[in-house]
Amino acid sequence: MNSDAFNLRLVSDFNIETLGRYLDHDAAWPRITSAAAPFGQIFPSLLETGIGESDQDFCFIWSSLEGAVPSSRKMLDFDLVDREALFAEVSYFAECVKKCHTRFKATFVASWTVPSFYRGLGILDFQSATGLRRLTLEMNLALVKALEGSAGIYVLDASRWLEITGNPWSPKLWYLSKTPYRSEVFGKAAQELKVAIGTLLGSARKLVVIDLDDTLWGGIIGEVGWENIVLGGHDHRGEAFVDFQRALKSLRNRGILLAIASKNQEEVALQAFQKRPEMLLRLEDFAGWRINWNDKAANIAALASELNLGLQSIVFIDDNPVERARVREALPEVLVPEWPEDRTSYASTLLQLNCFDLPQITDEDRARTQMYIRAREREKGKAEYQSVEAWLHSLETTVTVEELNESNLPRVVQLLNKTNQMNLSTRRMTGNELSEWLKQERRRLWAFRVRDKFSDSGLTGIVSLQADAESCRIVDFLLSCRVMGRDVERVMVAVAIQCCRSLGCAELIAKYLETAKNKPCRDFWMKSGFAYNETESSFSWTAARPYPTPSHIQVIEPGRDQSERELLRSPEGNVSAALL
Amino acid sequence: MTLRTSNHLDGAFDAIYAAIAELNLQLPRNKQIQRRPDIVLFGENGQLDSLALANFIVITEQKLEESFGIQVDLTQDDPFSGQSGHFRTVESLARYASSLAENKTGE
Repeated sequence: MNSDAFNLRLVSDFNIETLGRYLDHDAAWPRITSAAAPFGQIFPSLLETGIGESDQDFCFIWSSLEGAVPSSRKMLDFDLVDREALFAEVSYFAECVKKCHTRFKATFVASWTVPSFYRGLGILDFQSATGLRRLTLEMNLALVKALEGSAGIYVLDASRWLEITGNPWSPKLWYLSKTPYRSEVFGKAAQELKVAIGTLLGSARKLVVIDLDDTLWGGIIGEVGWENIVLGGHDHRGEAFVDFQRALKSLRNRGILLAIASKNQEEVALQAFQKRPEMLLRLEDFAGWRINWNDKAANIAALASELNLGLQSIVFIDDNPVERARVREALPEVLVPEWPEDRTSYASTLLQLNCFDLPQITDEDRARTQMYIRAREREKGKAEYQSVEAWLHSLETTVTVEELNESNLPRVVQLLNKTNQMNLSTRRMTGNELSEWLKQERRRLWAFRVRDKFSDSGLTGIVSLQADAESCRIVDFLLSCRVMGRDVERVMVAVAIQCCRSLGCAELIAKYLETAKNKPCRDFWMKSGFAYNETESSFSWTAARPYPTPSHIQVIEPGRDQSERELLRSPEGNVSAALL
Repeated sequence: MTLRTSNHLDGAFDAIYAAIAELNLQLPRNKQIQRRPDIVLFGENGQLDSLALANFIVITEQKLEESFGIQVDLTQDDPFSGQSGHFRTVESLARYASSLAENKTGE
């Protein structure tokens, strides 16, 4: 077993070993080590206790319709079906899934499918209340609804895996090995499971950097002029470019940032955005751009720096294979998908990319582009001030501190699992695990919301602590790159120190766990004023000493009126114990 | 569609090698099957267990259909019994598959 691999338990009523083989022998990240429960024993496998509690990370349940819902056998045989009994069995299956899930970080459940060789009731299959496909749809919906709200359980669409081949079911394989599907189906399912697990581990890409000429529109704008680029109109290529822009806009609406890297004269290229009404994408849809004659790899690196994103967050799309090869070679962390020569395939190629999947979509995600645009305005304003301090004061920043609750849990978990740069320990956890962790005595967690006069950045910071008799240790200290460098970090430290004091501890310790990406966090702590222990790679502060919070940030705890809020700040600018 | 005997055998080898490439995706790197006529597939010292053999049969039938344009049933005998020996080596399987294809195409 590979120690770096994640453990996945496979539960099925059929022989699912082929899926396990695909998963086990795929060296790409995330590495998976699978263990299949005995097939044909789906309910005992779901309800078993004591197995896998310590060494299993994830569970995948893939059952046939009749394996999970025995009454559905009647449906397949056109026998009289008691709908009430059928849906009661769906509910029971869902309850078993929930029970099973308590042993895992996350559980994936494949939706049910009906083999295509079952014609069902033909033209009546959706019309009749006992039609095969109608009942299957209804049962899937009932399953989804029964599992809705169960954090960490995800229903996956198995029908997409079957589309990989024209004939996914193999009766021969069934009779030979109790395996219902051809190998390709399991290969596709394995890919999708790895994407699902990667999604939970925070692998989602956050930024698409896009070329312009022959990518966002047809033609070279510098040569043909904005009037003659191919876009929209009664032209199949023009329509395809508009659809590609629509697909990009749909990503933006999900919270994926867009940026431009194009070899062009900027004022010439921007004319397309200003003068062509067919442009679905407007400049305000882009978080940034580099339109010049510089090396595209250098431009992408500059965009990453401007937007405070790691290169591993970026996807680069360009029609030119030379530019793609250059970026792949210079910036291997950037994902550069092969791009079709056929422009009519641009939109479908983009929509097929599986690197943007998120475990949940929060309000912060939806508003991300606007936040970056406001950040750009904020940075522009920086130059007008004599000093950084004067600029920080001008931002009128407010930090709201709150405890973990049901409404902020999804965002806290998202931040915990995707923040790389300002992250002390890079601890990744599911919502269930975090809630369980917090139930222990002398553990605390605070979430921080940040807004300024330009925008509301939302919930962007987390600090958690664990205290023993003498000292208090910072377990998590992380802040979104969106608000880094604006002294929010110092407010978080002050809150941690006050909490440490209220817990009766003499010392606060922050142990830095180095990763390939969290050097900015180390840089902050080196300047934090804490004593540095190089051997331990840790930082410490005597709790009795007040920690100076920045005077340009107002700290708020919800539920307190203005006079109480004022109490939160001591004359020296310290966060008050009232907060705690 | 009819092919001469040697073409049937060549086509069968091609189909089997294509099936091996596909099957190798399921196998660990150190257990991947080489594309050589003398490779022992199933039975004593064979490289395939029963599940891998089942998958291999279905993939090979699909590749043969793509090659010859006809459906070939490689499981007319029990493939797991080992009595027929068709699945013993890559070569024995190629000869068996090409003979089935020849019969189907009337040669």
